[in-house]
Amino acid sequence: MCRALYVLCLLFLLVACGSDDSSYTDIEDENRVLDFPQPDFFPSPTYDLEANPPTEKGFELGKKLFYDGRLSSTGVISCGFCHIQEFSFTHHTHIVSHGVNGALGTRNAQPLMNLAYMEDFSWDGSAAHLDAFPIIPITTDVEMNESVGNVIEKLKADEDYQSLFAAAFENENIDADNMFKALSQFLIMMVSADTKYDKVMQGNAVFSEEEASGKAVFEAKCASCHSGILFTDQSYRNNGLPINPEYNDIGRERVTGESDDRYKFKVPTLRNIALTYPYMHDGRFQTLSEVLNHYDSGMDHTENLDPIFINDNEIGIPLSDTEKSQLLAFLQSLTDDNFILDQRFSEF
Amino acid sequence: MRILAFLSLILVLTSCDDDDAYLVELNLNFEHHVDNEVLVFNEINYENNSDEFYSISELKYIISNIQLQNKNGNWFSYPVEDSYFLINAGVEESLIVNLSGIPNGNYQNIRFGFGVDQSNYPLNGVNNFVPTAEENDMLWSWSAGYIFLKFEGEYQLVDPIAPENFLYHVGSHGQNLDNYRTVELAVDLDLNADTQLDISADVSKIFDATHQMSLQQKSDIQIDPENAPKIADNVVEMFQIQMN
Ligand code: HEC
Ligand code: HEC
Repeated sequence: MCRALYVLCLLFLLVACGSDDSSYTDIEDENRVLDFPQPDFFPSPTYDLEANPPTEKGFELGKKLFYDGRLSSTGVISCGFCHIQEFSFTHHTHIVSHGVNGALGTRNAQPLMNLAYMEDFSWDGSAAHLDAFPIIPITTDVEMNESVGNVIEKLKADEDYQSLFAAAFENENIDADNMFKALSQFLIMMVSADTKYDKVMQGNAVFSEEEASGKAVFEAKCASCHSGILFTDQSYRNNGLPINPEYNDIGRERVTGESDDRYKFKVPTLRNIALTYPYMHDGRFQTLSEVLNHYDSGMDHTENLDPIFINDNEIGIPLSDTEKSQLLAFLQSLTDDNFILDQRFSEF
Repeated sequence: MRILAFLSLILVLTSCDDDDAYLVELNLNFEHHVDNEVLVFNEINYENNSDEFYSISELKYIISNIQLQNKNGNWFSYPVEDSYFLINAGVEESLIVNLSGIPNGNYQNIRFGFGVDQSNYPLNGVNNFVPTAEENDMLWSWSAGYIFLKFEGEYQLVDPIAPENFLYHVGSHGQNLDNYRTVELAVDLDLNADTQLDISADVSKIFDATHQMSLQQKSDIQIDPENAPKIADNVVEMFQIQMN
């Protein structure tokens, strides 16, 4: 008897709600799911697009959050402060990034692009999922020095955010889950795959002789780590940087506690590399020439130095001057101008 | 129209009252002991199996993913997004975990997680636990992960020498090492009558259970791939159902 009643009531409910509550369907129609800009020559995303499909409103909300200084304790440091589109979303007026009240971090801001394809995040992989990453900058004292709880309170008090969250998420809640999802929706749409290199690979452009020779050198000497279309195998390795005693950054060991991981850092992508100076986890090199000199002759044999660099009685990757200029030409072909000018991601 | 919908909702909710599937509440009450005595912070010196005397200044941990198995063997999972709780042995209110919406019936097992399950992470609304974890200092400052257990205090050896601090902080190590554990306990719950389940935790087990932990050997265990999993194993063993 109960079951029959239940079904009847449910039916009634459906009918009762279906007839005049058109505002619901309106919102759904309005909040279009965005097409994820998957290039056919990229691997499939690691990000679960079904669990958090980017939508028009979610993206808009994520972008507003990304450029909003209220995510920091002083009200002025936004994500976009350290991740500037012109430089492929890095920050380079300072070597290591700086946050609230000019506090200095110990690491160089990473470029933000193609994040949908990454397995974990930051130089040492301290975030296993993009949706959790913002906890780090928001709560780190030398970055935004805020608490997630407090940010949520600030957002709840703001009318724009009230309507944006309501439009972006079915449950309409202003909470950490939705805030992080919105930020991820914005971040994963930042796909950068329109470089000269990509055009050449697609058969729509040709390399100069210099670039072509650079590509050959790169494939022989660099591509074992900076591999594939993303120019990273996403592993953690020590590329022989002399230890900076000021920070003594142990790298991946901080996350795993394994001494085998000491001084290992994530192999970075090299897309947009001409824009993202300074280089390395602590931003110690200002130019790509310095980077190449490091590989050629600047390495220290520190703990866990990658075996690739260890030869009979020398360490590093010997590079002639010709090879260096060829490599530089090749690395320039990895710049995606359309990405850094893309209005969808711009603050203004 | 809305009123009609509302009325019929009420009808739905109330019309099943006589069915055996109606929904009830259950409180999990956590109590903390050391050996057989109620845990007292700071003042008392307890002794572990490594002949070390310790006092406790802090004990906090995260439980999650609560499930109940009925007499037919079926598992009821509490909604995962509402299933994260911080137990702070020093804060009375945190010791009662109020669960609602549980199908009435007889249950033979309870399961819950110690920590946060990475395979779920960060889906299922686990990020909504961030503010609570943050207020209770249960996030690593430099990583986007939860601290599953914070256990701190002082210890000294038999000879009366100045006590030293000890500190166990356990969580998962990125995607490298998962220290999430599942606790499963037999219960005899009849939710027609029972509204509460007492779970007692014998804190001494953190030192002495599957593994014997010696503070002299290591008194500061945080991101430690060798010892953190041992502590997690031991924590699983500290829980027991308290029969009244
Ligand atoms: C004070 C400067 C600063 C601010 C503000 C900041 N970041 Fe970063 N960001 C960094 C630095 C430095 C790193 C590298 C972190 C590390 O390796 O520890 C980074 C790394 C990242 C990464 C990882 C990229 C990768 O490839 O793994 C993401 C994603 C990111 N930031 C997003 C954000 C978001 C979202 C915000 C705002 C909530 C934000 N950042 C605010 C400096 C900053
Ligand atoms: C054994 C693996 C390995 C090889 C081989 C390798 N790299 Fe790297 N590369 C790394 C790692 C790891 C880092 C990051 C190190 C750090 O910051 O601590 C890095 C960083 C860089 C950076 C700085 C990127 C940034 O965003 O700051 C550039 C540029 C670079 N490599 C270019 C090259 C070139 C060119 C070659 C070949 C001559 C090469 N790499 C060979 C592992 C490698």
